[in-house]
Amino acid sequence: MITRRSLLASVPAVAGLGALAACTPPQSGSGDGDSETLTIYSNSVSDGRGEWLQEKAAEAGFTLQFVDLGGGDIQNRLLAEAANPIADVVFGLNNVYFEKLRAAEVLEAYSPSWSGEVDASLGDGEQFWPIVREPIMLITNDEVFPGGEGAPADWPELWTVPEFEGRYEVPTALGGATTQMVLSGILARFRDDAGEHGISADGWAQIGEFFAKGSPAVEGTDLFARMAEGEVDMGQMWLAGKFSREEEYGITTTAISPEIGVPYAVQHVAKVAGTKNAEAAEAFIDWFGGAELQAAWSNEFFTAPTNEVALQDADQDAVELTDSFTPQDIDWTFVAENLDGWIEKIELDVLG
Amino acid sequence: MIRRLPAWARSPMAVITLAVTAWFSLAFLVLPNLQLLAEVFLADGGLSTRAWGRLLGSERAMSSLRNSVLLALTLSVTVNVVGVFVVLATRYFALRGRRILWLGYATSLIYGGIVMVAGYDFVYGSSGILTRLLTTVLPFVPEDWFVGYPAVVFVMTFASTGNHLLFLNASMARIDQQTVESARQMGASQWTVLRRVVLPTLLPTIFAVTVLTFLGGLGALAVPEVLGGRDFQTIAPMMLTFANTPSSRDLAAALAIILALFTIAMLLILNRLERGGTYFSVAKVSTQLTPQKIGNPVANAVMHVIAYALLVVYVLPPALIVLFSFTDARSISTGTLRADSFTLENYATALLEPTARWPFVVSISYSAVAALVVILGLLFVVRLVTRFPRSRMSTIVEYVLHIPWVMPGTMMVLGLLLLFSTPQGVVGGRVLSGTVGILAVAYVVGKIPFTFRLLKAAFLGINRNVEEAASLLGASQLYTFRRVILPLVLPTAAAITALNFNSMLDDYDTAVFLAHPFYQPLGIFIRNATSGETNADASALVFVYSVILMVIATITLWLIYGGGAARILRLLSPRRARRRSGDALPLDPADQA
Repeated sequence: MITRRSLLASVPAVAGLGALAACTPPQSGSGDGDSETLTIYSNSVSDGRGEWLQEKAAEAGFTLQFVDLGGGDIQNRLLAEAANPIADVVFGLNNVYFEKLRAAEVLEAYSPSWSGEVDASLGDGEQFWPIVREPIMLITNDEVFPGGEGAPADWPELWTVPEFEGRYEVPTALGGATTQMVLSGILARFRDDAGEHGISADGWAQIGEFFAKGSPAVEGTDLFARMAEGEVDMGQMWLAGKFSREEEYGITTTAISPEIGVPYAVQHVAKVAGTKNAEAAEAFIDWFGGAELQAAWSNEFFTAPTNEVALQDADQDAVELTDSFTPQDIDWTFVAENLDGWIEKIELDVLG
Repeated sequence: MIRRLPAWARSPMAVITLAVTAWFSLAFLVLPNLQLLAEVFLADGGLSTRAWGRLLGSERAMSSLRNSVLLALTLSVTVNVVGVFVVLATRYFALRGRRILWLGYATSLIYGGIVMVAGYDFVYGSSGILTRLLTTVLPFVPEDWFVGYPAVVFVMTFASTGNHLLFLNASMARIDQQTVESARQMGASQWTVLRRVVLPTLLPTIFAVTVLTFLGGLGALAVPEVLGGRDFQTIAPMMLTFANTPSSRDLAAALAIILALFTIAMLLILNRLERGGTYFSVAKVSTQLTPQKIGNPVANAVMHVIAYALLVVYVLPPALIVLFSFTDARSISTGTLRADSFTLENYATALLEPTARWPFVVSISYSAVAALVVILGLLFVVRLVTRFPRSRMSTIVEYVLHIPWVMPGTMMVLGLLLLFSTPQGVVGGRVLSGTVGILAVAYVVGKIPFTFRLLKAAFLGINRNVEEAASLLGASQLYTFRRVILPLVLPTAAAITALNFNSMLDDYDTAVFLAHPFYQPLGIFIRNATSGETNADASALVFVYSVILMVIATITLWLIYGGGAARILRLLSPRRARRRSGDALPLDPADQA
């Protein structure tokens, strides 16, 4: 029997655990007032990037606290917190998310000290500023297509060439940033302002074929695991993800480089409107996007910085590989306005 | 004057309980949800009906909805059949090795979600143990035979029997040995005793766990996503996508309203059934039930075979999860083991990182506080509702407290965040977003329906004569509650607390929006380390964290449910132990209930 005694006995046990909680969190800084610590929302601090940045920032006199979430979650949280913002700075999201945040007036204009060193047109030139760019690619397994031979030359071949039917992975969850980039890259080719959600009827038919003839992704099983097993031969991936996974699964892949170009995910940084640490936030942005740190970040994490001064000291392989693709010409404001409608339509009417 | 007042208004305890319940419900259940519903449905100054047209026009939405309802109805039957069987096998009948059986069946309590699906995949998937066996013996069996509706029902049935194991066991403990014996002496067969004496006593709990099973089926996410294939997808993944897209939230809300209608229908039916019966044993002095020997040797053998076959079904998946947690991502995804597959690297990554401990502390604290608050509060509320079962007040309280079940988690959390980002009069003009407290509030809110439902079943199983007797002897309401009622519902309350605690440890959906930057719980930490969007493929880490969580869950169940806490205390204070050594707690978990 469970007796009152045994339940009462568990109270001190639980209280003991609670007492543990009374100790201070490892990153809260001095503790007297949070104003010294910058709260940063980012989807780009996993895989050790956050710890690395915290260390470097400490050397530069900043105490950082990250809220590390997926792109969509960060956007939703910032929108819901607009009346009482908790974040000081947000970085790592791509154009689509930042365009939506700007439209909701979540961000505040700030011109960083390095604004002259980047191509301001990658961002909005006012509120959010580019830091890193990364191509989103279609990759193929070298075992099936040695060096890319016989592989599709562009996305539409996947569903128009019969040999590829069922051999490429299509996403099932549409919330991921990479997935949304791929869909934008395909749909933006069929822009028709008179069409449904700005896309022509043909465009909708094409995206329907894309999903119908692909092999749906399996939740919890990586694309590379499925390629290693021979279940599929190709799928979507971003640059840094390709290299770490090749090592993990012992297979090599080739990224195809279509004539029309590939979508580039450009990561940005911005100050959150209503931050209580405006000065520190601005100083952090100046330091974080500056040439010195961006070059160091590139060498550590295999990225291509947008800061032109940082390029010479950056990881040359990463820069070269990133530059080997043509950027696809996509109107990101148009995408940001319509993407949610696209996702909704695909969920309801396109997926089978 | 006084006659016009309803009965409950004349009890000070009831009035205080009701006042607190009303304030809490208004502030944290009703207002946040109204805020969100207004936001999604009131577009451009009018009521938007766009969502309904979009959903009705979508073949995929309609078939997913049908599948979810079908799954919920199927599980309501299958889970009860298996659940009642495992309870009989471990508690009612004298089977050999009952303790081992109980421990094996109880594994379903300590894991779930995507990792559980992976565990079943190791057995039944295209490269699973059983599949390899099958395809060797019967070459015509396709490798991907384990897919679709039957596969989903199979996995979810075994995954959902944990509630039976805890709560039916608790009500089984109230069955009176003398009643069973006298029925036998009057010539009733073992089968008749089971059907006419034992099962009726279990009914309120069966009703309560049926509601849980039904809701679990409606909201099923991970299992159908992986095993459903193209033909058996359910509505939850779609709802999740819509809830996370600001412009599509009206669709998520509309779907929630549809699911709410099904849930309410189910509650109405079960409440009607529940009201019709008497569920306590009539014995004046009850004796504890002893396990029954099965007289018929054939029946006895059959019982043993089924019980041990089920044991294998239950134990294989979690055992394989533990085994594969020591291997690399490649072995996990292919389900194959080589000598060089084994590694301790994953555990090193998960445990040795300097920042890795803090999220555990945060999660354990939040879960403990929320689990205690919710059980303490609801003990009073359920007492109120069951004391005045026919008053309109009780009905209203009951339905209001079920709100968190029908709103999708994401939307409820967003409602809280939106409402409390500005000063609210209902909480004394404070802004709650960004505080440490708001996440605890959300956790408490999320656990209310589950706790309420099961506590209510436990209260219904109490013989009212006991209460009357206490009252006649002059005991006050509070005294009766404390000294008479409370000890009787304590086993159930303890089990609920343990389950609530465990289920909050790895929460992500709530924490993602409400966690304070300095106090981020484990769920966020795990998701960051293991999500598909990280550069390294971290599917092996998912397994490691699951095994760690399984260990914590087991310890919790042992502490609260298995009498572990009491034993530790006894060890710490030898004098008390000697004095009380006469009434040492039994060790057999099958006897704990």
